[in-house]
Amino acid sequence: MKASPFHDSFAKKNAVFAQRYGTSVVSKVSDSAAEYHCVRDALALTDVSYMQRFSFPEDKGLDFLDSLCAGNVAKVRFGRMLHTFIADENGHLLADCYVANNDEQFVLLAETIVDAAAFKDLLLSRGAADAGMVDLSESHALLSVDGYKAWAVVKGLFGADVLGLPYLSVERYDFQGEPLALFRAGKTSEFGYYLLAPASKAAPLFDACLAIAAENGGGLCGVEIHNDLRLEGRFFNIFAEGAAVRDPLVLGLQWMIDFGKSEFLGSKAIFARRAAALSHKIIGICTESGAKELVKGTPIYSGPSQVSEVVASCYSQLLSTYVGLAVFPVGIAFAGLQFCLGSERGPAIHTISMPPIMPKSLTVKLDEL
Amino acid sequence: MQAAIDKRRQVIDTFKRELIRRLNLPYTTEDLHEDVALLGAGLGLDSLDALEIVLCIENSFGIKIPDENIAVLRSINTVVDFVLAQKAEKEAPQ
Repeated sequence: MKASPFHDSFAKKNAVFAQRYGTSVVSKVSDSAAEYHCVRDALALTDVSYMQRFSFPEDKGLDFLDSLCAGNVAKVRFGRMLHTFIADENGHLLADCYVANNDEQFVLLAETIVDAAAFKDLLLSRGAADAGMVDLSESHALLSVDGYKAWAVVKGLFGADVLGLPYLSVERYDFQGEPLALFRAGKTSEFGYYLLAPASKAAPLFDACLAIAAENGGGLCGVEIHNDLRLEGRFFNIFAEGAAVRDPLVLGLQWMIDFGKSEFLGSKAIFARRAAALSHKIIGICTESGAKELVKGTPIYSGPSQVSEVVASCYSQLLSTYVGLAVFPVGIAFAGLQFCLGSERGPAIHTISMPPIMPKSLTVKLDEL
Repeated sequence: MQAAIDKRRQVIDTFKRELIRRLNLPYTTEDLHEDVALLGAGLGLDSLDALEIVLCIENSFGIKIPDENIAVLRSINTVVDFVLAQKAEKEAPQ
């Protein structure tokens, strides 16, 4: 199993590790409530080196990535990023991706639901070697900084100019004499940054970030709480609803697709399903306050008929109830309806508008700080 | 249940059509999931687009969004919730 360049730094802080698609991930560092409030009220560092990461020279990489990704890579301007996905030939999700146009090269950051070797094999089978692909997975480490005060870490490292970076942008900085790529992205609905640095700088980068985090009431967290934060903020999670459903149209990911492109991997299947019109789609659900847990796989009933089942869920610390996602027939896939959980006479659940929370970060304008 | 669905569907369809037209979005109404984020992530609209969305809601439904109420613009569904709540308030007996 692959170990992250940050493994020892997190291990010294008593992190708990788990395996996900053949890669070691930091599952948690402290209790869920503490990690949750770290992100929502301050900031937390997470090791996201489980993401597959590759670079391509701009001239060769553009056509290659555009032939793979559902989004339009040709439209990604210098210094900006595209959030899109890579599917298989059947139009089923394989990877949730960022493609960044960074100083004469493209960087691909991918959360995959196949192991690293299988994903790399896919890229190679599509011509990645001819496109000049360089695998950064061993040579570079990727740290995520998320939270209402996440900006404090990058400002502390690189100066106040960093606050002017718009969402989905990339910039190069220097860290202890080595180049570091800073991506403004994140999936918690609070401010988020990814720091891509040479693996040799992983430990000092971790220490520098953690010192600033501590000054701002922040700390560390694992991917478990990120799953909850994503769901609560209704950011797509390929490891939860993505892996369970896999159809990008049912998942509501049309915004990641450029339907004007003639072709990309899986496009024929996706375009055919779009032309046939959707029969089902994913929507938000929640229990009534004090209700028992929403468990993935639990059936959902309308009268005597099962109409859906829970595909993802979490306890919302802000709402003090369980929220989740379920795939409903389109005729009843609307917020504001009541169904029963588990059986015809089971406890009531409601379909809801997502995201059900208002993240603090939406109330702050970084360039005015 | 059907009455609630019909009421909501009508607002959703109107809002999506106007959103696509005003912002020249390259999608059909069926392509736009009601929970997709309007600003930043998702559709990736910016602060100028946000002003256009506010105008879109005012012109389509005759409902004003207070300047400070950015929370309404989180997604299509949160806009629809706001519109339905405002309509219900207007229709409620005084």
